[in-house]
Amino acid sequence: MIPAPIVDLVSLSPVIVLSLFAMGVLILDLFIGKDKTVLVFLSLLGLFLAAVSSLAKGTGPIYSFSNSYVVDTFSIFLTFVFAISSALAIMLSVSYNKEQGIKIGEYYSIILFCTVGMIVLASSADLIMIFLGIEIVSISLYILAGIRRTEKRSNEAALKYFLLGAFASGFLLYGMALVYGATGTTHLKDIASVLASSEFKTSPILLMGVVLLVVGFGFKVASVPFHMWAPDVYQGSATPVTAFMSVGPKAAVFAAFFRIFVEGIPNISDYWDTILCIVAVITMFVGNLGAIIQDNMKRLLAYSSISHAGYILVALIAKNSLGMSSLLFYMLAYAFMSFGAFAIIIILDKQNGDNLEVKDYAGLGFKHPVIAVCMSIFLLSLGGLPPFAGFVGKFYIFSAAVKEGYITLVVLGVLNSAISFYYYLRVIVYMYMKEPEGDYQVQPSLAPFSLLVIGIAVFGTIELGIFPGPVISWTMN
Amino acid sequence: MALFMDHLISWMIAIPFLGIIILAFVREEEKIRWIAFGVTIVELLLSLILWGNFDFAQQDMQFVERVVWMSTFNIQYAVGVDGISILLVALTALLCPLCVLCSWTGIKTRVRVYLSLILLVEGAMVVVFTALDLFLFFMLWEVTMIPMYFMIILWGGPNRIAAGLKFVLYSLTGSLLLLVGILGLYLNGGHTYDLLVLTEQTYTSNQQFWLFLAFFLAFAIKMPMVPFHTWLPDAHSEAPTAGSVLLAGVLLKMGGYGFLRFCLPMFPEASADFAPSILWLSVIAIIYGGYIALAQSDLKKLVAYSSVSHMGFVTLGIFVFNSQGIQGAVLQMFNHGITTAALFISVGILYDRTHSREISDYGGLHKPMPKFVAFFFLFSIAAFGLPGTCNFIGEFLVLVGTSYVSLAMVLISIGGILLAAAYMLWMLQRVVLGEPATEVAKMLPDLSKRELATLIPLGVLVLSIGLYPGPLMETMDASVIHLIQQTIGPEVTELSQLQFGP
Amino acid sequence: MEQYIGASLMLLFATGIAGGMVLMTSLLGPKKSFADKDEPFECGESQIVSPHQRFSVKFYLVAVLFILFDIEAVFLFPWAILFKKLGMFGFIEMFLFLLILGVGLLYVWKKGGLDWE
Repeated sequence: MIPAPIVDLVSLSPVIVLSLFAMGVLILDLFIGKDKTVLVFLSLLGLFLAAVSSLAKGTGPIYSFSNSYVVDTFSIFLTFVFAISSALAIMLSVSYNKEQGIKIGEYYSIILFCTVGMIVLASSADLIMIFLGIEIVSISLYILAGIRRTEKRSNEAALKYFLLGAFASGFLLYGMALVYGATGTTHLKDIASVLASSEFKTSPILLMGVVLLVVGFGFKVASVPFHMWAPDVYQGSATPVTAFMSVGPKAAVFAAFFRIFVEGIPNISDYWDTILCIVAVITMFVGNLGAIIQDNMKRLLAYSSISHAGYILVALIAKNSLGMSSLLFYMLAYAFMSFGAFAIIIILDKQNGDNLEVKDYAGLGFKHPVIAVCMSIFLLSLGGLPPFAGFVGKFYIFSAAVKEGYITLVVLGVLNSAISFYYYLRVIVYMYMKEPEGDYQVQPSLAPFSLLVIGIAVFGTIELGIFPGPVISWTMN
Repeated sequence: MALFMDHLISWMIAIPFLGIIILAFVREEEKIRWIAFGVTIVELLLSLILWGNFDFAQQDMQFVERVVWMSTFNIQYAVGVDGISILLVALTALLCPLCVLCSWTGIKTRVRVYLSLILLVEGAMVVVFTALDLFLFFMLWEVTMIPMYFMIILWGGPNRIAAGLKFVLYSLTGSLLLLVGILGLYLNGGHTYDLLVLTEQTYTSNQQFWLFLAFFLAFAIKMPMVPFHTWLPDAHSEAPTAGSVLLAGVLLKMGGYGFLRFCLPMFPEASADFAPSILWLSVIAIIYGGYIALAQSDLKKLVAYSSVSHMGFVTLGIFVFNSQGIQGAVLQMFNHGITTAALFISVGILYDRTHSREISDYGGLHKPMPKFVAFFFLFSIAAFGLPGTCNFIGEFLVLVGTSYVSLAMVLISIGGILLAAAYMLWMLQRVVLGEPATEVAKMLPDLSKRELATLIPLGVLVLSIGLYPGPLMETMDASVIHLIQQTIGPEVTELSQLQFGP
Repeated sequence: MEQYIGASLMLLFATGIAGGMVLMTSLLGPKKSFADKDEPFECGESQIVSPHQRFSVKFYLVAVLFILFDIEAVFLFPWAILFKKLGMFGFIEMFLFLLILGVGLLYVWKKGGLDWE
């Protein structure tokens, strides 16, 4: 008789709940007509239950599945971030899909599956689990990127994303294999304890593995110089998908990035520290300088998202508990501001894909003042201006880095914040200053769900900016 | 009543924001203007009550309120005033009603937004000048920038977009350096943002050097000191009248206030090390600002460059580290707020009539606008510090303070005052005297009652402070002495050696 | 060395059988020669055609489905062998596994993935 392994289903409950709902949505889609609204509600219910069920285990780190799955504040908080961002993405998609003629019910189910992968990523304490999570997330995203099947750009996006994503997965897996080869274990905790003794530290195999991990993760989070795919993919994908990609999956990959580097191999940080510092700095610079010359809103936000990856890397480099909590806070803040900005792009978007240029926003401030004010709030928050969430997030990250003595890095980050204002303000200038070319045509489609998303995003952006206390103390646990 | 008096500063902070909320629900333009005016007047009354209940003899912060805000970072909502900040709060409260008045007819589009922005600046500035928590200070320091930016780009002159961008980029660079400085202070000063606790700490020379540099650059840009001043002429000349008044009258003072509140008491060693170069920069600013002002053909630019020159006196007074210098600097900040605001409002009055700021478009105004000319003349001579006007007191004290340090600087600075006299009188001659340059200039209507109501309080203040600055000096005496003790050691007890007034 | 004996025998048999089959067909099979037959590849497709030729997407679909259920079988065999040793735990696990696959099958079926036309 082979003894049955200990299965801790309670730890796994968010994953199980969400998988069930994803399958339910998939099957239900077969039996309903063209109106997919019921799927939306079912998916939202699933995300809600998943988030709630993640609290089942309390906050202390609880390891299960022979130490490869862990439930702690980090994973619980991120589960909430994922649930929120996926819910926002689904709500944004409702009217967008109707207008764009995307009548694919699987869409919602894939988003749920992707969320499952993200939760797995955030909770894994083992290299293999991490790879599993990354693949679930990536495969879902390849499909989502190409969901507008008749659109040329969407196809291009999907193919590009797939090819580069597959390469990245290869790098990642190779890196993991080498780390495993050098340390003899895939558990992050064990890797850390093996590396605590000095004899393995300088093993060339290990260092090669770490470099490959940096490359693989660099691709997945679109950090420079592995960012080439991001603008094209972000521009080509359906806008709600773009919003989704730039928030949830990125946060999930960062979570795994953080777990491996800060929980797994902190003892050899001398080696990866410099690499990551350089990557962070060039990511910020390329992202921000690239965004300056963009005329397409989606591309602009794509580059801005690249630069934000740079800021988040700074939190990772800080390697302390403050860094972890600032990472979490930033993820949540970024979810709100990014979704808010994308929501406004979506309600101004038209069927034929017009109105995506910055100049199409000319005169918005007078025709639709409320929308323009909301957009200004999101953009100023992305730039990091108080009293909005983006400011507290950046402040928090930079405090963590300064605490560890990375003054130069912080000064460069701060400088980048200043640069970023140039292009965020440019949009605001267009909204308030420029006269529209020709007749003013933009007619926002104010679907209730989109308005709800904007409302939530505005609330979150301001709330986290003025009263960040409760959230911060939650992340500090 | 206790609820009122104990939370006076919080009320002062809340009232402008409440005013914005009320404005959001009012439709009629006329009502909006009156409500905004009423709110600013209430704020002015509150500031007078604050001043009336302020204990001049005490050197510590008064009216202190503290509430925990973010416990993880030890961030509090903490406000309070001392003798220096109360003057700047009063200045803010004084100028805002005038801003509302002077834009009464000039601003016709989006009145509600415009007045809300003025109230937003007012509320934010009160927090900046009273904050005892660095995080709170920084947050609202940044917030002041947004309404100014929008005021410039939405109601500004023809070149407003570039001017607005320049303003934001300069300010941001400065404030981000400030952020780095604040973070550094937090980490080296015992993980707190409490201003009073941080001021008590001592820092090593190396820490002082870097922290001072970060804070200094931030404040120098805001001030602005030469060579960081290039945003100022553009922003001032492109902003609408109320925007220029707020910028020159209040926002520039944030820089000087920052030097007094942070640089001197926290980093005395570094301040002493940097002082010689800062003093020379100030002297250069005085001469350079005046020299460039001489060459301006645009009225607003002329006033803007005169600001650069006047702010030179402020930094000069601050970094000589004696009570005359610092008192002079604070007075100079206050007086510059009044005279420059008055000059900008006067130029605004002309601009409302002719839509031109070119000096050459005017001339012979004494015929059609005698009342206006009387006020304009008063403000112009006050701007170059004629004895009997308010600026004279400040500049004189600064020069007395400087004379303990370097006679050469005093002599050069006096050259700056002469330059100021030259550009102001020359401008007066071209605008007021002679024959009208255009047909339009002959027929300009004189001041309306509203405009008179704007200018009379300023005129009264210019003269009364010039003749009897006693109350202002008394208000800050204790605080200034305290500041100097923090900066150069506890042995200093002398009051200002010169007594003014009876 | 001893533990490799089995493997070596296996290798020997495998090469023997494979090689024997090739040898036997070349010796015993009939030999007719015609144009199509003499082409290097004999798979029903012409040699020289435009490279942009399209395959029906259904081929891929069938291939993917085949792999899916093929892998299912790969998991089923060892489970069947160890069925008794794994006991109730193994049964439930495999039941869940098959259930999930069943959902997939149902989905493919309803979507028409199994219909050729």
